[in-house]
Amino acid sequence: MFTGRTVRRCAALLLALALTATGCGSSGDDGTAAAEGGTRVFKADNGSITIPAKPQRVVATGYAVPPLIEAGAPLVGISTWKRGVPMMDAQTKATYDRLPKVAGEQAAETNYEAIAKAKPDLIVIGVPAPVLGDIDVNRLKSIAPVVAIGPTVPRAWRELSRRQADAAGVLQKYDATKTQYEAKAAQLAAKYKDVLPKLKFAHVGAYGEVSKGNFQREFDGSWGTNVANDIGAKYYGQVKQKGTGSRSVSEYPSIEELPSAFAEADAITYSVNTDGSVPESVKYVLDSDLWKNLPAVKAGRTYPIRYTEAATYRQAMMTLDAIDKSFAPLLKQ
Amino acid sequence: MTAAGREAGVRRPERTGAAAGQAAVLAAGVALLAAVAVVSIGVGAHRVAPGEVVRALVAYDGSADQMIVRDVRAPRALLAVGVGAALAVAGVLVQTLSRNPLAEPGILGVTAGAGFAVTVGSALGAAAAPAGQLAVATAGAVLAAVLVYAVGRSSPLRLVLTGVALSAVLSGVSLGMRLMLPDVFDQYRFWSVGSLAGRERAPLALPLAAIGIAVVGALLLGRALNAVALGDNVAHALGVSVTRVRSTALVLITVLAGAATAVAGPIMFVGLIVPHAVRPLARGSVPWLTVHAAVFGAVLLLLADMGSRVLLPTGEVPVAIVTAFIGGPVLIWAVRRYGAGAS
Repeated sequence: MFTGRTVRRCAALLLALALTATGCGSSGDDGTAAAEGGTRVFKADNGSITIPAKPQRVVATGYAVPPLIEAGAPLVGISTWKRGVPMMDAQTKATYDRLPKVAGEQAAETNYEAIAKAKPDLIVIGVPAPVLGDIDVNRLKSIAPVVAIGPTVPRAWRELSRRQADAAGVLQKYDATKTQYEAKAAQLAAKYKDVLPKLKFAHVGAYGEVSKGNFQREFDGSWGTNVANDIGAKYYGQVKQKGTGSRSVSEYPSIEELPSAFAEADAITYSVNTDGSVPESVKYVLDSDLWKNLPAVKAGRTYPIRYTEAATYRQAMMTLDAIDKSFAPLLKQ
Repeated sequence: MTAAGREAGVRRPERTGAAAGQAAVLAAGVALLAAVAVVSIGVGAHRVAPGEVVRALVAYDGSADQMIVRDVRAPRALLAVGVGAALAVAGVLVQTLSRNPLAEPGILGVTAGAGFAVTVGSALGAAAAPAGQLAVATAGAVLAAVLVYAVGRSSPLRLVLTGVALSAVLSGVSLGMRLMLPDVFDQYRFWSVGSLAGRERAPLALPLAAIGIAVVGALLLGRALNAVALGDNVAHALGVSVTRVRSTALVLITVLAGAATAVAGPIMFVGLIVPHAVRPLARGSVPWLTVHAAVFGAVLLLLADMGSRVLLPTGEVPVAIVTAFIGGPVLIWAVRRYGAGAS
């Protein structure tokens, strides 16, 4: 026979089980709910880290900010990321503006107290490995598990942002955008299949250590070229002295080397700002007589590319649209 | 023959001989300058055959190699000559004026003034293009020099102290602004390490003309500076207006160092090294020191600029880094020499 007390206990137990199973339990303010939901081991730049299987309160910094906002991660704090703002759509920008800023543009501007106050159950750091030294990771680890997933070579944003989304438990939504991007890229590759494979491309970039007297030449897989690569554009040549990161796919020769660097190019693309204006470092190249004397320039085959700093699939779709608009005259030639 | 006549008769051949010696040194310097300038336009990141270099100058046909020589290297060599001469002559003036053999043009706040103006100009969006950068740097250099002169004109020591103090204040404020504004820091960091690269399309005619006029002015002022170098009382006794000489010299330093810094960014040590290096040749004559400094300052910057193009296999380094490498050991030599002379 069941007494009333036993029935009440069973009902409470069933309710607790149901809430746990559906994830409707209160997360509380102490970030312990995720731990109750289980943990998993995640492989990051800083080692194999035990993180919540389903994080509820995530802090993101650096390159992790745009992909995690776009994928709808449960963010409670982010770093500022001004360079990504011009490539954010209205919804992403609204979320970016709304979220508390717990770190600045530089890794050294990390506000540990603000991060602790946000009570995260996961911290995703998206800065390059050398910059990680500017952050007191042990101090962050005392607040919540820390996964560092930073940029390496430019075209690796695909894998890196996916891993960031995976850590934050929002892989499903992220992959949906990835599928959209791949479909769009395939569509454009088909559109330009009779034109692009026949051309040898070269690119003038505007990223990194461009100063007066030199220019940035980008090869396959660099910031200015990786999205164009996805629709079939091939950038010939390779870096003379390979470095690490973006230095493995781009170099900064003297302006004197412009004629020899681009002598074989059938077509030249160049990076422009998100509003279409030409950056000062690229303008320096475009205004020179050496540029005007290049075969590709004389043939009228120069193409500006916007959104070359895209580091998420949603941003890269904007790059695809910009490339399509810029390359359109190629179909008429 | 009177005693005075005998003395003059003895001195005149000595003076004539000394002047001939100085003229010979000058001729050798000019020949060296011409040779280094020719080599300078033949050397660079892209290899151009010597015959093509000559044809670019005498029979231009618009090929890529000739374009490199005419449009990139020749203006750069001209700029090196102007900036090198300007900094070296400014160094002579500031060392003579302050009676401090370790002084250099930046000590009077000109470089810090230009740097502060570039920082503020970058924050306001006025220093992104080369012409804008040139204008704000010049304005900053002039304003800093006026302020230093207004406060410290009563004595050379006060002038130097005011320059050092103003430099510290302006550098501190600039640093604060750059720390708060990363975009400004980005623009400033390329300007702050002086370089002659990429200036070929900047409006250089006006600053180079100003440098030319100021160098001539410094030569004309040399005789009066000779007297001022002996002390204010001696200069007064010789009929030289110390105040007028000092203010004229400061204007010339401002024009020379300000124009050089505006077009190339801060290039340290040229204004310090060259006067020391050529002082033994000038034999105590400020006018000859000025002439030799102008020639050898140009030679030094041409050589340093060639080094900046070819020293590293990875690409160019700013010329200010090369002069700093040369300047460090020379500064130690100068300090030791000054110390030995003083003891």
